[in-house]
This record gives sequence, C-alpha cells and structure tokens, in this order.
Amino acid sequence: MAVPALSLSDCRVLIVDDNEFNRKSLALVIRRAGITDIAFAENGREGLAAVDRFRPDLILLDVDMPVMNGLEMCQALRRNATHEQLPVLFQTALDSDEEQVRCFEAGGSDFISKPIKPGECVARVRHQLEKRKLFNDLATFRERVQRELSHARAMQTSLLPEDRRLAEVADRYGLTLDAHFETSSELGGDFWGLYPLGDGRLGLLMVDFAGHGITAAINTFRLHTLIDRFPMQHMTPSQWLAQLNVALNDVLPRGQFATAFFGILDIAVDTLTFAAAGSPNPVLGTPAAIKENGPDIRLLDSAGLVLGVSRRAQYVDQSHRLPRGGFLFLYSDALIECGGDEIGPLGQDAVPDFVRDALARDRQHPLRPMMDSFYARTRLPLRDDLTAVWVARRA
Amino acid sequence: MDFKTINTGDAAEVWLTGRLEFTDHDRLSDIIALVEQSAARRFVLDLSGLEFIDSAGLGMLLVLQDETESRNIKMIVRGPAGDVRRSIELARLSEVITVEF
Repeated sequence: MAVPALSLSDCRVLIVDDNEFNRKSLALVIRRAGITDIAFAENGREGLAAVDRFRPDLILLDVDMPVMNGLEMCQALRRNATHEQLPVLFQTALDSDEEQVRCFEAGGSDFISKPIKPGECVARVRHQLEKRKLFNDLATFRERVQRELSHARAMQTSLLPEDRRLAEVADRYGLTLDAHFETSSELGGDFWGLYPLGDGRLGLLMVDFAGHGITAAINTFRLHTLIDRFPMQHMTPSQWLAQLNVALNDVLPRGQFATAFFGILDIAVDTLTFAAAGSPNPVLGTPAAIKENGPDIRLLDSAGLVLGVSRRAQYVDQSHRLPRGGFLFLYSDALIECGGDEIGPLGQDAVPDFVRDALARDRQHPLRPMMDSFYARTRLPLRDDLTAVWVARRA
Repeated sequence: MDFKTINTGDAAEVWLTGRLEFTDHDRLSDIIALVEQSAARRFVLDLSGLEFIDSAGLGMLLVLQDETESRNIKMIVRGPAGDVRRSIELARLSEVITVEF
C-alpha cells in the first residue's frame, strides 16, 4: 500500500558532532530531504543544552567526542522522561558490532553508517520522524477520546440518583439507602433509579445492559428516555417490565439486551413486590424470630427472559414481606463475576454470607465493608461495571 | 474461548471450551462463517465443555440464533452445565433458543 510521504518541513533536527566537516555534510544531506530547521552542537554537554533550548524532533549523534561523548549524552537524555521518545540516530561504523550494541544499550533508536551515505541517511531520518509524527498524532487523538469519554461519563453519572436525593428519599420512607457505582472502561451499561410513587410506595429499578463501554452506555441513555414515558403508578412491576421490554426490543440491535429488577416497596403493608428479567439474585433480609441471632437472609429468584430479546416476553410478580428492620440488597453481576489473581470471583451462592459478614462489621451501613472486601479481592481495573444498592427499613 | 467443529453430515456441531465473554466478540464471526458454509439444516452448539459465560457471551448466543434462523437452520444449544447452565436459566434464554440440558 502506497502511503504519501509526510512533509518533514516542520521537523527540527539537532546534529551533534565534534567534526565540522561531518556537521556540514549531514546538514546538507537532510536539507535535501526538506528539513531546514537544523541546530548544531560540538559535544554531548552542548548537545544536552541544545535539546532544552531547541526542542528537536530528532538527534543525529556522533559517538566519540570530547567533554561528553554520544553514549553519555544519550543515557542522560533517556533518564529524563520528557525525552524518552525522542529519536536518537547514532553515526557509527557499520562493521563494528560491539559499538552498535553499546549504542542500543545507551538508548539509541537506530544508526546511520559512517562514512555518510546520503540515501540511507535520509531514509532512516525520515523513518524515525514519520514514526514520531504518527505517535504524536495518536497520542493527541487518544487524549481527545479520553476527554470526551470523561464528559460522557459525567453525563451518565448524572442519570443516577445523587447523594442528596438518596438522603431525601431515605428520610421520607424511613430507610437507610447506600449506593455504589463504578464503570469498567470509563463508560458502563449499568443503571439504577428510585421512584417515589406516593402512598408510601417506592419504585426501585436496576438495569444492566450486556457488555460495557460506549455501546452499553448509549443504551442507558435510551433507557432513561423510555422510563419517563412509562408511568409506574398504576401498574404491577411485571406489567411495567413487559412494557419496557417491548420498547427496548424496538430499539436494541440484535445480540444486545438488558437484565433488570423492578420492585415496588410498599411501607404501609410491609411488602416488596417485584418482577425480574435475569438480574443477579437480589438478597432479602428479614428480622429473625427472637431466639435466633442475625436476620434471616436469602436469595430471591430473579429468573426471567432478559429485556429486548422478544416482544412476547412475560414477567411474573413476586411479593415478599419486608418489615421494619428488613433489607434488600441489589447488585450487578460484576460483584459475583469479577475475581482477583489469587482468589476467584465471589459467585452467586456466597452472596448471603458476604452480606452477613458485612453486617457483622457495620450493622447500619454494611455496603462500605462489602465494597472494601470486594475491592480487596478483585483485580483492577474492573472488567465489568459494578453497581450495588443497599435499601434497609429502619427498625 | 476455544472451539472445534465436527460435521456429522446431518448437523454442523461447534464445541466450545473455556470462557465465553466480552473479549471473544471477534471469534463470533468465525462461528458465523461456519454456519454460512455449512449445508446442514441443524446447527448444534455444544456447551458441555464451557466453564463460564458472561452477559456478552449470552448476547452471542442470541446473535447466532438470529443468524441460523434467517438461514432456515435449526440451532440447538446443548449440554450447558454448572455456572453456564445457571446463567442461561437465569436469563430464561430457553424461551427464545432451543436448549437441551
């Protein structure tokens, strides 16, 4: 594939050589390649000063020089992180294998042979400068993408309930509400929300789009728009989920889907009613009978066809007692699927004990010890998004 | 994830091993290519040797279901065990895919 040659007219080259004839002939050769911005130094020490002053894109460096030789100068350059990527071309006698090894060890990028052959010299200089340009372009591009991703991340986080809102809802319903949210690769496919429905009823939604990254994040924005379109007040959780499923089925490309939990907590009758679409099993805790010690903790069945796969999907409502002192713990699959180097992932079955241990460490706010022990055992960065929500009714 | 293929004449069979997850997305096109080349009317995806599947892996099963359906090929997911079976059951994929446990 033919790639048009990049123009080198804006490149700066520093020539370091104690021999005036060599400096002049090298300059002549690279001028012919279109490089006009050239500076000179006569030894390594002068060379280092010139690098700071002139900021070259490439250095042509002689080895044997008085005061400071080329190897020493190159080593000094490489010790400075700013110049780690700066191409350094040593001029050496091609037949000296030993000297070439020493040049590489000193941090040289390549060689040009002495005596100078103009064709080879220009080709090697051009190769290094083009590589540097492409590298810089890529670095600039990457920086831009990073910047845009973090903007998008802020937008996504703004879809989730803020701390102030959590506190408001918690006080209104007599709850303890704690939440944790972390995306895997800047953007994620997790979403959760709280919806006061009046008459002591509170809607709780958690959705996890398959995969992560930009595609999954776009789906959470889609979801946010859809939620506003479907009022929750006069519907059972299963009806609402079925409606959301049809809407997602229309917008999601094939192979993309979401798992979901949607529940309504009714504090007037101490009941949680929910429908689920393949979310990880939620944990329900109820205060134990008098003679037992801790609360009764168990996993709820959350099987259900994932959202966005079939228009015909049906969901089932389940009701459970959730009296004062009881709790509900919701989480995304990262909690049970992400492991560390030495220790495997937690796994679904271990979650009740995981919750029990955390309650023993902090009865009021067990989410913090849960996250502490999760992060202690898990390799970072996370491979998937993690959301965890603790909803407890105050005793 | 790794896979091997067996052609039984009656069916094209793909046996998956290891972990089917987000990072395997590029391999999916290799399996789709197999479906495209096959003359068999049945496509069996054997998961008995698969150890783990994540949500992206489940999505790949749905894509394969779509690909086979559009070519009038019957897809059968066979033998998921352990955590893989659990994930498939939790997501109730058997409502849209033929799964032989």
